[in-house]
Amino acid sequence: MASSRIENVRLAGVASAVPGPALSVSEDARFPADEVGKISASTGVHRRHLAGNQCCTSTLCAAAAESLLAGMAIPKDSIDILIFVSQTPDYLLPATACAVHGRLGLSPSCAAFDVNLGCSGYVYGLWLAASLLQAGAKRALLLVGDTISRVVSPSDRSTALLFGDAGTATVLETSVGAPPIFFELGTDGSGAEHLTVPAGAFRRPSTTATGQRREREGGNVRSDEDLFMNGGEIFAFTMRTVPMLCKTLMQRAGWSMDDADAFVMHQANRFMLQHLAKLMRLPKEKVVMALEDFGNTSSASIPLALSVSLADRLRTSTTKLVMAGFGVGFSWAGATVEAGPMTMPELVRVGSEGWEAE
Amino acid sequence: MDRLGFLELMEELLEVPAGTLNGNECLRDLDNWDSLALIGFMAMVNEQTGIILAPKVLATCQTVADLMKLVVTSDRDSVV
Repeated sequence: MASSRIENVRLAGVASAVPGPALSVSEDARFPADEVGKISASTGVHRRHLAGNQCCTSTLCAAAAESLLAGMAIPKDSIDILIFVSQTPDYLLPATACAVHGRLGLSPSCAAFDVNLGCSGYVYGLWLAASLLQAGAKRALLLVGDTISRVVSPSDRSTALLFGDAGTATVLETSVGAPPIFFELGTDGSGAEHLTVPAGAFRRPSTTATGQRREREGGNVRSDEDLFMNGGEIFAFTMRTVPMLCKTLMQRAGWSMDDADAFVMHQANRFMLQHLAKLMRLPKEKVVMALEDFGNTSSASIPLALSVSLADRLRTSTTKLVMAGFGVGFSWAGATVEAGPMTMPELVRVGSEGWEAE
Repeated sequence: MDRLGFLELMEELLEVPAGTLNGNECLRDLDNWDSLALIGFMAMVNEQTGIILAPKVLATCQTVADLMKLVVTSDRDSVV
């Protein structure tokens, strides 16, 4: 695994935004009520916020960024770096980071680029931003989010009731004497086929055929431009990878189980998180679960969990966090961070007027 | 894990009364054997034995007894 120890960088604030009102999964009419209930009981997802076809990830991230920058009362021209991490960008080109840079009115001296990662994407973004700050920049704005519901077939029970949409913003900045942040990152590209949207980009461009939804395994209906998820392979991957990731991180940080205040894992689904917690013998009260009202929000799930489950604590005190993102790629990244006190604005809810205005 | 212990765990997983399964059942005939049950089975085996079963191997199983062979023999070929 790639390893980094970052000095003199701190998390200064995190904000999250979701589209519209929460929608209950029990209202889904495409599957029988007992089936919806069974899936929901396993995944732990009862409600989600869905973007619809008008709201982009960048809209949510920009709303979170505006809230965070206002809450921190920092000038926009103090941002040296803008990183946008998402699998659901606005365009094939330009980089969404450039478009958002314009919308936010950031300085021309700010570097801006996109990163295509999902479940591991937030921790990857922290690693990138922190590494660039250590190399000489002063302040980074990390935007991480996805509108995965826009690539999910509503008739595929393996994905339709699981995913929600969210966008987040995190500010990292140099801070002399800040506790070290430890990172571990890795990849197993042999798992790429197990969580994928197979068509619609350049390897298999969109055609009438690739857009045609048809019945697949288990009666699920989707097209090759919809998200495919092999739940069994992903579950096996997480069991192989995540316990070792967390163990290695905590050893490097010199943290015992008692030292860690909270384990914030990618909010894949409740069943998986509970099993991982059991495997790692984590104290139940330290394992953050923020799925019930938001679903699996892909790259946004870790910062969203910070916003909805740990905001009060992070506003007022230093909290030792173990973060672990894992999934699509297969890709994984973990970090130990001593975070807070820091700026944690209230969750931003972006109504339809917010995206129609763009 | 022995044969009886395995069947008891399968009955719990599939939410069928104790003593219902004997191993000869076809998986496709069991109402509750679906993608969620498959993941529940992987978790159960991992918790009880430490084995991480390969989904590709699981996909070849036709009967409850086929699943049992993966666990009771602890065949390393079936471990990812």
